[in-house]
Amino acid sequence: MTAVPAEPTQVSPAQSDPKPTLRARLRRITRSYLFRVLLSGIITIWAVTTFTFFLIRQMPGSPFEIKIDELMTRQSLTYEEAYRAAASIFNFDPDTPLLLQYTDYLGDLARGDMGVSITRTGTSVSSIIIRYLPWTLFCVGLSLLVSFVLGTLIGLAMGYWRGSWFDNLMTAIASILSGLPDYIIGLLIIVVFGVQLRWFDIGSVRGGVDPTITPAFSLEYIGSILSFATMPVLIYVLSSIGTWVLSMKSSTLSTLGEDYITVAKARGLSERRILTGYIGRNAMLPLVTRLAISVGFVLSGTVIIEEMFQYPGLGRNLFIAISGRDYTTMQGIFLVITIGVVLSNILADFVIGWLDPRVRIEGGNTSS
Amino acid sequence: MTYDPNHVVLSVRDLSVNYRAERGLVRAVSKASFDLHAGETLALIGESGCGKTTLNLALIRQLPKTASIDGNGILYTYRDGRQTDILKFSDRDMRRYLWSECSMVFQGALNSLNPVIRVSDMVYDTAAAHGIGRDEARKRALRLLEQVRLDPERVMRSYPHELSGGMRQRVLLAVSLILRPQVVIMDEPTTAVDILTQRSILDVLKLLREELNFSVIFISHDLAVAAEIADTVATMYAGEIVEIGPVNEVFYRSRHAYTLSLLNAAPRLSVGAEKLESIPGKPPDLIDPPAGCKFHERCAFVTDICRHTPPPLVAYNDGTHLASCYEMERVLAQAQATRKVSPL
Repeated sequence: MTAVPAEPTQVSPAQSDPKPTLRARLRRITRSYLFRVLLSGIITIWAVTTFTFFLIRQMPGSPFEIKIDELMTRQSLTYEEAYRAAASIFNFDPDTPLLLQYTDYLGDLARGDMGVSITRTGTSVSSIIIRYLPWTLFCVGLSLLVSFVLGTLIGLAMGYWRGSWFDNLMTAIASILSGLPDYIIGLLIIVVFGVQLRWFDIGSVRGGVDPTITPAFSLEYIGSILSFATMPVLIYVLSSIGTWVLSMKSSTLSTLGEDYITVAKARGLSERRILTGYIGRNAMLPLVTRLAISVGFVLSGTVIIEEMFQYPGLGRNLFIAISGRDYTTMQGIFLVITIGVVLSNILADFVIGWLDPRVRIEGGNTSS
Repeated sequence: MTYDPNHVVLSVRDLSVNYRAERGLVRAVSKASFDLHAGETLALIGESGCGKTTLNLALIRQLPKTASIDGNGILYTYRDGRQTDILKFSDRDMRRYLWSECSMVFQGALNSLNPVIRVSDMVYDTAAAHGIGRDEARKRALRLLEQVRLDPERVMRSYPHELSGGMRQRVLLAVSLILRPQVVIMDEPTTAVDILTQRSILDVLKLLREELNFSVIFISHDLAVAAEIADTVATMYAGEIVEIGPVNEVFYRSRHAYTLSLLNAAPRLSVGAEKLESIPGKPPDLIDPPAGCKFHERCAFVTDICRHTPPPLVAYNDGTHLASCYEMERVLAQAQATRKVSPL
């Protein structure tokens, strides 16, 4: 019983007249762009998580059955013996109801716990992700950067000097490249340059870094990382650059037809200024959204390439996890991919807004 | 207004523009000649597709790559009296000439502004390309924007999509004058805007012309606008200038059958609910134009000679009024009969 009137549900004691302010604040928060984006992002992540959870359990063969099969064939055990051995290895009870598994999983996830790998007993999923994610981020991130920057520049030049020999040559190359899937390009390079021409030793391009070099921030270690990344980056760039080149070319061509380009030329602007500030910037707009989508899929983009070169990235781990029906690891990696896609889409909204004032979001980053 | 008929700024001699097309050569402009004097406003009138815009793009050499220009020169006289042929300019010289000597207000202001940069950046880009500093450019732009009756500070900060159509048109007008050119080409600057905006743009243009003393080539198919603003009127048909002369001469004493038909097809407020006469037929094919006078298939005055021999441009009134029509006398008689009160 104090003289001060109680403020039962107020969370902001600093406010002297908090009731209307709080409501107004809440309304402002719920109406704000960032809040809406974050909310829709969380809903997306939850929906995808749920979907993956049930979907991967519909795949033929559980990790349990695969292990039993393996034990039966390798150690010639009977089914009962193999079942008992498998049950003792796995921290996983196949008889738990699916819905209970799901609620347990969500509960753990809310606490930031992604669980323990089913097949690699004792290894937590988060430790797998923390260990292998940087490799993929580096390798595919670098590839995407090279392929986007190079692709848009080439496409811009092709569009600007359309009909030139450069344009014709690059159009042909880009069409072929964009039609070839990454694993075909990878195999072609290995077979032609590795096996036939012997330009490089096939064994030496497998892996992420030379294991004999001690990890340190040294020139030797970084050099080794870069040299092992060369092949995967090259193949990723080759397989994705064609699409960037062709879409930038067509985007440039349609921008060239715009009146403001003629006006810019009539104003006597230098070719460089017209090419960058007028053609390039406008032609790039439609590509930025596509870049964002690609950034999202960076994490999953190169499952086959990583497997082909035994690159220690997330893609290769996803491949291993799927082969062994490692539900928890799969869930973890899919979750990371989903978060990547959602984040990069949010980022794309801001980048587009920064590049194109017409789509700037109200209350976002307008400057007036 | 100092319209000085003795001082020629731009002299176009036998200018022809052809486009390469699948079916053959499109003769978009053939042998156009005219002089633009200091302070003069020349209105180019004619129906769509007659070559008005092509002619003007040729004057600033901004034609598409499929086009080829030839002729006996486009002679430009600088303020200091030097004379050069624009057709002989290198790309570098051309870039320097553009906008600082001859600028253009394009048709359709909506698409003439780069959507991703502010008006101020457009001003600075233009100034930088011609070696003028930001401060000077800003000062000039603010003054011009005020003269075209816009809020200068706000407009400078704006992106194109934040401005209305009329505002954008006025921004273009202001930017076209920023380097103080002697010649401004205006390609239907009042076509896409409503009647009130059109009024205010014309008023602003007249004021600016008084103050800054530039010559204007004004493309329009709105005859009332042309009559109001022009000193000289040139009628174009199928790529040819068929009649050119002082505005009152051309409108009251038309000497070409096409000019007369064009005027008869325009609504006249002063005459009341009179029946408008449309021009029969359609514009000729510019790849395979008709023999003789190109207008003969649609002409009410047509005679035999019109069908096979192209009429020459003949000078009247001490050479100020030129027309290429065999039936000049009948046309003139009818023009004077119908246009005693007012041409429009």
